[in-house]
Amino acid sequence: MDFKRLFTRKSKSSSIATQRLQLILTQDRFEVSEDSMKKLQFELTEVLAKYFEFTMHSVKMSLKREGSSYVLMADFPYSKSDKLR
Amino acid sequence: MGKVIVITSGKGGVGKTTSTANLGTALAMIERTVVIIDADVGLRNLDVVMGLESRVVYTSMDVIEKRCDLDKALVKDRRVEDLMLLAASQRNRKDDIKPEQMQEICEKLKQEYDFVLIDSPAGIEQGFHNAAAGADEAIIVTTPDVSAIRDADRIIGLLQHQGINSINLVLNRLSPTLVKNGNMMGKNEVLDILNIDLLGVVPEDTGVIASTNRGVPLVHSEGSPGAEAYMRIARRMTGQRIPIPEMQEENFFANLLNWFSRNK
Repeated sequence: MDFKRLFTRKSKSSSIATQRLQLILTQDRFEVSEDSMKKLQFELTEVLAKYFEFTMHSVKMSLKREGSSYVLMADFPYSKSDKLR
Repeated sequence: MGKVIVITSGKGGVGKTTSTANLGTALAMIERTVVIIDADVGLRNLDVVMGLESRVVYTSMDVIEKRCDLDKALVKDRRVEDLMLLAASQRNRKDDIKPEQMQEICEKLKQEYDFVLIDSPAGIEQGFHNAAAGADEAIIVTTPDVSAIRDADRIIGLLQHQGINSINLVLNRLSPTLVKNGNMMGKNEVLDILNIDLLGVVPEDTGVIASTNRGVPLVHSEGSPGAEAYMRIARRMTGQRIPIPEMQEENFFANLLNWFSRNK
């Protein structure tokens, strides 16, 4: 019997839907391919990495609707213990 | 001068026609003068949902091709005063109408009526553009699922491009129990993604099926959760400030069943 499965809950399908939609809509709104998105994300990370120390894969990008235009948001985690290079 | 509002969604089957029928009826019940227009040329359904199919003589196509006056083409509702239907032609195709022709009809109607509601066809082709051509505002109907929300987002972009900036959301067929279990996106999650104003939430209500069978819009069934939700939305459309209540779960039995299936 898989005891581990009894105690760890599956992640909820509604939050999976939310995460998938955020990615799908960002691509729809940009009208770019997933490859270009990844490339942009990677290059953005490279630039940021020149100045900050943080994990490469933690940058999240999204395009948020604000009235009739869009705002590009790039989130990267940065804690106080990280220092400016 | 009245308001012309297009009711649209992108995806089919999310409740555009049901919402148009119910909001039109609800607005007339609170003493507004209303015309509902079926813009789904070739696949008309609003007359059937309203139970008016036997009364349709002329359609918007007859008005456009000058076979009859606009006033004469309007079908009076059987139950509520000051509620009219302009049916779509079932023989013609969506490309047979031009946006300017729809615009002209809407311009004339809003001089005389408080609300002109347009039931848009699904899709983003000519039929959608015709439906939206004469509109001042839009109501987006979506269900809380990935494909309907994706299509709603696309439609919002197209409407904004057309210069319609008042765009409000009706979140349809929400199941409070599923939301609570984490198996359906809730209103805050949907709003966070689409980022437009919420006009109302309509809970899943099986009464809709019986009401469509009978051709009597749900708002006539007083006390049903769906009817109450549509009445509240109609009041908000007239400018009343009515808060959006937190959804009640269906009933004890449904909860029990859900509890079992969750813990299986």
